[in-house]
Amino acid sequence: MEATYPLFTTGAIDSNLNLFYGLFLGIAFGFIIERAGYGRSINIAPIMYFRNTKVSDMMVSAILTVSTWIIIASYMGWIDYNQIFIPTTYLWPYLAGGALFGLGMVMSGWCPGTAVVGFSTGKLDAVAFLLGVLVGMHTYIINFDSIIYFANSTNVGRYTIHSVLGGDIYSSYLITLVLGIGLIIFMKYMKSIRDKKGEDI
Amino acid sequence: MNNDKYWHPVIAGFLLGTAIFISFMVAGQGMGASGTFARVTAQLAYLYDSTFAQNSYVINYLRDGNALANWTVVETVGIFLGGFLSAALAGRIKGGIDRGEDYPAFKRLFFAFLGGMIIAVASRLARGCTSGQALDGAATFSVGAWIFMLAAFGAGFIFAPLFKKQWKNVK
Repeated sequence: MEATYPLFTTGAIDSNLNLFYGLFLGIAFGFIIERAGYGRSINIAPIMYFRNTKVSDMMVSAILTVSTWIIIASYMGWIDYNQIFIPTTYLWPYLAGGALFGLGMVMSGWCPGTAVVGFSTGKLDAVAFLLGVLVGMHTYIINFDSIIYFANSTNVGRYTIHSVLGGDIYSSYLITLVLGIGLIIFMKYMKSIRDKKGEDI
Repeated sequence: MNNDKYWHPVIAGFLLGTAIFISFMVAGQGMGASGTFARVTAQLAYLYDSTFAQNSYVINYLRDGNALANWTVVETVGIFLGGFLSAALAGRIKGGIDRGEDYPAFKRLFFAFLGGMIIAVASRLARGCTSGQALDGAATFSVGAWIFMLAAFGAGFIFAPLFKKQWKNVK
């Protein structure tokens, strides 16, 4: 049986309808982020000091929810996993980008998605952050020719856990569970150390 | 501060994950945000100076004529509307600058701006941010998402002491 989903890539809906649904999915995303408290940088920054583990709890919960749904939908033959977009992995740029991202996040208290929510509720630090993002993007664009070699280096394509270790999406799912639960345990442990000291590490 | 007014992180994560899953089912891609700002910048640069159409980065975005004619851009408009809707219903449209007590507002805004610049470059190297790369990628078993996420948290923990005063005795 041919999978019917994703609706757009299988041709079941056209690009206008896809955009229309995208607007509503974004509304749901923004609504949930605000309800969880992440329209405010003061609720995001504490994760970097292990004051609480709410951000990582939510992230792991979201990751495991999506992957569980994908495993179910894939097993049932509803969705074609191979038609799902996964960004091309560039090993060194991802490592460098990740490290810079962490620095930017602890400095600003924001990431792009949460800052859009902060902006919508009138937070001026979110506005300053987003202006910085635009200037940073411009800086990147005008200097792209000098960074293009590094930015496109170590391209390993669609680099999934099962393509690296062997196995199938089910073994990838198990490893994702282990990584997610491992991250939660690590964060709780770091928080307990911080709590014992009674101050920030 | 009373945190009970917010949803429990595990519940919020479950709902967010379900929304992202629906996004995969509909569009074949998860949700993101950083790409929108790259596209807005590209479009503005192009409108201001049409020679940007030849820029090796902008050129990919202008392939369909307008850099803003894109799913993630529309979805990001949705994020703004959804955030506004939720905050308005909860009476949380308040404005202001989030910072620790006694921390100067201009310094806080400066670091927010500088952090934004750094994150922009970071998100281009990593092809996404917390949502489009970390959440979507990890959920679809991409190794790169974990490299990105662990590097981001690692660097965050290492640099955190430098910015501690910003978050001291938060109002």
